Amino acid sequence: MSDPIRNRGYAPIRDYAAVGDGRTVALVARDGSIDWLCLPDLDSPSVFAALVDAERGGRFLLEPEVPYEATRRYVPKTNVLETTFATSQGRVRVTDAMTLPTSGFAPYRELVRRVEGTAGRVPMLWRVEPRPRYGARVRLERRAGVPVAACGRDAVAVLGWDAGEPAIGDGDVNSRFVTAEGDVAHIVLAAAHQEPLVLPARGEVATRLAATESAWRDWSAGRVYDGPWRDAVLRSALALKLLVFAPSGAIAAAATTSVPEAVGGGRNWDYRFSWPRDSAFTLRALLGLGCSREADAYFSWLSHASQLTHPNVRVLYRLNGRPEADERTLPLSGYRGSCPVRIGNGAAGQTQLDVYGEVLDAASEMARSAGGLDRDHARWLAGVADHVCDIWAETDAGIWEVRGDPAHFTQSKMMCAVALDRACALAEKGWVRGDVARWRRERGRIRAFVENRCYAEHKRSYTRSSEEDLLDASLLLGVIARYDDAAAPRLVGTVDAVRRELADGPYVTRYVSEDGLPGEEGAFLACSFWLVEAYARQGRLEEATALMDELVGLANDVGLYSEEIDPRTDEFLGNFPQALSHLALINAATAVAEAAR
Amino acid sequence: MIGGALVGGLAGTLVLTTLLRAASELGLTRIDLPFLLGTAVTEDRVRAKAIGYLLHFVFGLLFALAYWAVFVVVDDSGILLGAAFGFVHALFAASALVSVLLPTVHPRMGSGFDAAGSAPLLEPPGFFLLNYGRQTPLVTVVAHVVYGGIVGGFVAWAG
Repeated sequence: MSDPIRNRGYAPIRDYAAVGDGRTVALVARDGSIDWLCLPDLDSPSVFAALVDAERGGRFLLEPEVPYEATRRYVPKTNVLETTFATSQGRVRVTDAMTLPTSGFAPYRELVRRVEGTAGRVPMLWRVEPRPRYGARVRLERRAGVPVAACGRDAVAVLGWDAGEPAIGDGDVNSRFVTAEGDVAHIVLAAAHQEPLVLPARGEVATRLAATESAWRDWSAGRVYDGPWRDAVLRSALALKLLVFAPSGAIAAAATTSVPEAVGGGRNWDYRFSWPRDSAFTLRALLGLGCSREADAYFSWLSHASQLTHPNVRVLYRLNGRPEADERTLPLSGYRGSCPVRIGNGAAGQTQLDVYGEVLDAASEMARSAGGLDRDHARWLAGVADHVCDIWAETDAGIWEVRGDPAHFTQSKMMCAVALDRACALAEKGWVRGDVARWRRERGRIRAFVENRCYAEHKRSYTRSSEEDLLDASLLLGVIARYDDAAAPRLVGTVDAVRRELADGPYVTRYVSEDGLPGEEGAFLACSFWLVEAYARQGRLEEATALMDELVGLANDVGLYSEEIDPRTDEFLGNFPQALSHLALINAATAVAEAAR
Repeated sequence: MIGGALVGGLAGTLVLTTLLRAASELGLTRIDLPFLLGTAVTEDRVRAKAIGYLLHFVFGLLFALAYWAVFVVVDDSGILLGAAFGFVHALFAASALVSVLLPTVHPRMGSGFDAAGSAPLLEPPGFFLLNYGRQTPLVTVVAHVVYGGIVGGFVAWAG
């Protein structure tokens, strides 16, 4: 239990929880303020963006008018959030959810906040400040008595029941009410996109909220993981499900843009895209949890999205599968002054060779699970393998998308070898046809390059690139993606070197060399989980378990992770919630469970 | 001649629907006539859209027949006359048909006298459809003028 504290209007990233409906995600701070929501989709412009501009971004505030302490939890096995405010005058429970579509005439998108008095009488205040299109001010009008903010093809209505009479203020809708024990109030945000608004009825809202809880519980019941850290794995699965963009099957890297990797710094990126690089992690996690439907949808999305750029696989795609992601900055002040706030992502135009290894590794997982590949997928993969043969010797930006000079990154080369290794394996099973002799020949040449030019004998470790002998945590993926036998001495030495040079307790830094960007960053959570997985695959169970225990303890109070963490303060950094962190947690736990068996 | 009206009605409705959809994509309006019509019949969104498109084309043909009747009475037809009819049609639709008449007969559409109570309500269009975006009247007029021109053109062409 703790008092929510804001710094110049900004809540700590650790204080956020996420609710969503498979199309968009809202971030709810511990003090009851919804500071981030894009409508109608995750990658649409925001209607609340106080997360990246506390003054102009817009928010949906709901809190007691007297001092309080707040505790939170997700309703077990759901993505429905419960915040309990304890005050000297009584207690109030707020339930937040984005409702899932059910039968009946529902709004295009619907955010529901249910307020229940559980003890005493508590004065409550709520205020909705809609700022569509990343901070635009709009005029509020009434439709059928309901306050509405409309902007172009989008509109939101604010409805309240037993929550005071909503008044239209200067750019906001607000009200006050007192909730006594046994009272139930509802406040709803109903959104429309390219259609007239649907103003829901209270009874249907309550029914949809109950159905939403039930739908999440049903989904959770279908997850099959039965190893250690079960609660953390299930919460990660639910967090991932929030980031699955249901209309296409793509998985967003995170729900936000420009949450900084260092407060006050410029490493602020838009993660509301899907990275094929994460495909192998994603499919392994989904299949391991029994999410075969989501895995199928994701693989289909990946193959369709990359059809347009075939045989190139771009670094990232929009959630609808389109390749364009032009980067620009917004006139917003940024999280605690962390400028610029970017939308779009310039990494889309980079060359990253590792992506091919991830894609073919993912395909291999899918084929193994399904017992084969259909003809279109097989042809696509053969084309990708041929392309790898053509380009593996080029320099690239590497997995970390460095904005400095391209280089011969070791992990990129390793993943090219993995790509051709998987292509050969698929061909041996008769699932893919192509120039297998060439694939084998080039795989050998890549391995020779890595072994001769990317290994430092004095460190007993592979190096970041062929040009430098520094370390990089991405080399752990050599173990995870089975570049070589996990117990191969060079890979064992590399894992030890990463622990020695890049880790500090449970925190692992990505690298220590230049990346073409000013400023610092925190420890990268996925790398810590990769270290656990690497240990597990090398049979070092004790080290894996000890590290995993520490990492599970680093989650916030509702079990979520961002991209990075400040080792000095445990402050969350980077976009939130972060798919890669949760994917890595699931895969690490699964690897430990498998190794223990 | 009546055949020309029917073909013109079909083609005109097609173009009108496309223009409204394009305006929506451009962020000029939130009007969605098939959705408005279909939700009068069903609350299921997908079925509402399908039924709405069907109803929209039926109404498009009926209006084309009404145009044809007037062409017969005035013993003249053509693109310009049809476009003029379309202009009047748009004014009527925006000021009375959709903004006043539809809310009174649509079981799910709110009016100034309603508040969200026991049943969900569809946002009413307001005077001249302005609730659906400030450019909506302009978009509606342009789309109906084009519709009228197509109907008039086909009627004249069919002789």
